[in-house]
Amino acid sequence: MPRRLLFSSMDFFANLLPHLVNGVSLGLLFALIALGFMLIVGVMETINLAHGSLFALGMYFALFFVAPKLGWFPELQSAYMALPVATRYGIALFLAPLFVGLFGMLLELCLRRTYGRDPLYGLLLTFGAALVIEEVIRLVWGSNEKQLPLPEAISGAFMLGDLIYSKYRLFASAFAVLMIGVLWCFLERTPYGAIIKAGAHDSEMVRALGLNLSRLRLYVFGLGVALAAIAGVVMAPIWGIRPHVGVDAVVPAFLIIVLGGVGSLWGAVVAGLMVGMVVGLTGAYASEWSLMSMYLLFIAVVTFRSRGLFGKKSVLEV
Amino acid sequence: MSDTTQSDKSEDEKLSTSPSTSRRTLLKGTALAAVGAALTGVAPFMGPWKHNRIWAQASQKKPLVIGLTMDASGQYAASGGEERLGAMMAIKEFNDKGGVLGRRIEAIHMDTETTPATGSRVAERMIARNEAAFLIGAVHSGVANAISQVAQKYGTIFLNTNSSSPTEAGKDCHRVKFVWDGNGTNFAHAIVKNAIRANGKNWVLMTNDYVWGHSTSKATRALVEANGGKIVEELLVPQNTRDFSSYLLKLQQLKPNAVATAIGGDDIKSLRQQVVQLKMNNSTAWINNQQDWPDVYGLGPESIFGVFGTTWYYRLDLPGVKEFVAAYQKQYPGMAIRVPGNVYHNGYMATRELLRCVEETGSTNNIAVIKKLEGRKMSARDRLQHFDAWMDPATHHCQQTIYMASYNDKPAEKDDIFKILSQVEPKDVADKDAAGACKLESYEATPVYEV
Repeated sequence: MPRRLLFSSMDFFANLLPHLVNGVSLGLLFALIALGFMLIVGVMETINLAHGSLFALGMYFALFFVAPKLGWFPELQSAYMALPVATRYGIALFLAPLFVGLFGMLLELCLRRTYGRDPLYGLLLTFGAALVIEEVIRLVWGSNEKQLPLPEAISGAFMLGDLIYSKYRLFASAFAVLMIGVLWCFLERTPYGAIIKAGAHDSEMVRALGLNLSRLRLYVFGLGVALAAIAGVVMAPIWGIRPHVGVDAVVPAFLIIVLGGVGSLWGAVVAGLMVGMVVGLTGAYASEWSLMSMYLLFIAVVTFRSRGLFGKKSVLEV
Repeated sequence: MSDTTQSDKSEDEKLSTSPSTSRRTLLKGTALAAVGAALTGVAPFMGPWKHNRIWAQASQKKPLVIGLTMDASGQYAASGGEERLGAMMAIKEFNDKGGVLGRRIEAIHMDTETTPATGSRVAERMIARNEAAFLIGAVHSGVANAISQVAQKYGTIFLNTNSSSPTEAGKDCHRVKFVWDGNGTNFAHAIVKNAIRANGKNWVLMTNDYVWGHSTSKATRALVEANGGKIVEELLVPQNTRDFSSYLLKLQQLKPNAVATAIGGDDIKSLRQQVVQLKMNNSTAWINNQQDWPDVYGLGPESIFGVFGTTWYYRLDLPGVKEFVAAYQKQYPGMAIRVPGNVYHNGYMATRELLRCVEETGSTNNIAVIKKLEGRKMSARDRLQHFDAWMDPATHHCQQTIYMASYNDKPAEKDDIFKILSQVEPKDVADKDAAGACKLESYEATPVYEV
């Protein structure tokens, strides 16, 4: 009897293990989606409701760089398309966030008038921007579903045990780890990161020290938007590309940064992993709860810890 | 002379007394009405507003307003756009002939956002404020149900063009609602028996967690079990699920012979992409209840796998199909979807048939038009399908040809992505449970509506 119990437990864990691994991978992707949102909220105390639309814009820019349609320049197009997909994908991964980041900086210039005023102005402006970006996407690229071509090396699947895993998902998870690491190094190991953190902690002091706060905000917003675009490029082959895909990104991103604690990098990462894990496990064992589970987790955490897992204690709290 | 004077005087008296008399009468009437309303709990002088509408419209040739209740955002935005083009094409054809009953047709569109609450709000607004004579359009069954409840309240005829939940012509049927798409049961009938024979008996259901998904999977389950198969698991997929990795891992662990999906809109697009990434399109038999053209058009041929149902295809070898496609391309040049599909076809056919009925009835009176639509026969040639269709008078569901299809590995052109495997007669795929579940309101219980 104990032997049978042992075997059934082993079976259970053998079945569970792939879902745990999948939960971690999903969590890393969620964390990647939330990084840009976290940076902007943490430093600028602005909830960027256009995050999802900028995520979608990243997807479309990636599509442009991987499979451009240059109707007026057919020779240029054929010369560019002669490049290997891997090269074009690499270009997209670099240039799409760059262009979307520059666009984000323009958006920040519009956002400046809302600083120091009712936070609703910032919310309204970014919400309006989200609607405009989505409509522009619809006008330029149409409302149909698009697919991002992938390099051969990261498309397809591989066998592990008797289960099939997606190569691209492995690549995307590894890329998410890389981005988290790079962002951590930037914030913790460079003077620029120190300035950004100081700006988040006490912007008046930063200004008093002679640093240009406006420029700091401009760069931080651009970086946050570029991170949204990177997440868009990485998620494009998994979620598909459509104009309204941003809604699917902005909701979990918002949930993750509140769950992890506003402005906390590791909070966003841990919250992303937790959300990925509950969504992945419920998807496997109680599928109808898979989307609801992240909200239940959120309620459970903020009920007992209203500032999130890694949120700093407010001076107003006793 | 005196007579004349008398006569003039009486006329003067009439003229001079008439306003005060009528004011007094009005005041008395109002007071009585208020007392009556207080006693009976109803407003006696405010007759049913439907009559007011008849008075307002009857003497004039006002444009006939058709409310297009189609999604432009959310899960079914792409399909909503296509069915709108179909309805607009039918309206244009009638307007080119001078409209209907001498009235020009005006279409107004409001986005129903793939959200039932928005559907209700849009329907209410179109009827009460825009004076829409008819409402047309729905893909999401929850939205269709919400619109039809409002439409029934007013008596406004509503065409559910593309929502294929069996409940739409079953328990959620209404006298004013007519359902034009094949439903989940029709498609399951067409597919399941052959699929069990070809693939095996152990099936997994993947079900979008809302009305259409549940009712479609219920029909599939019943047919699988009736044919000796077994449902080993049903995986419920919440709407707006974008990551299917845990579902696909679970499927690999379950190792079913076939997976029957009742997943629609953006969800099925994401699922397909992820299935292809894992190359599970080749290792598992996929049975997709219905495949709407806008859901697969942009995905590329490698993402179209498994066997699925549809009600129409643009390369059916039937008279009139080529002309129908050419008319679409002429009217909508440069569209992202270059050729029409089943969703457009449903939108067009439903609108055209409604306007024909109005023309034949000679009136927009809802009861007259409803009676004209009920039991209506539509020839196969006219509908560009293989078999004659008819509107079931007991359920208000259009009984039509169902096509079985798969990916076309030898396409004649870029858009030729479906291979039609067979066509099934409407009587062979009939939803026999619908008539028992559907309880249409009586004509008397349906408010008269004529705009």
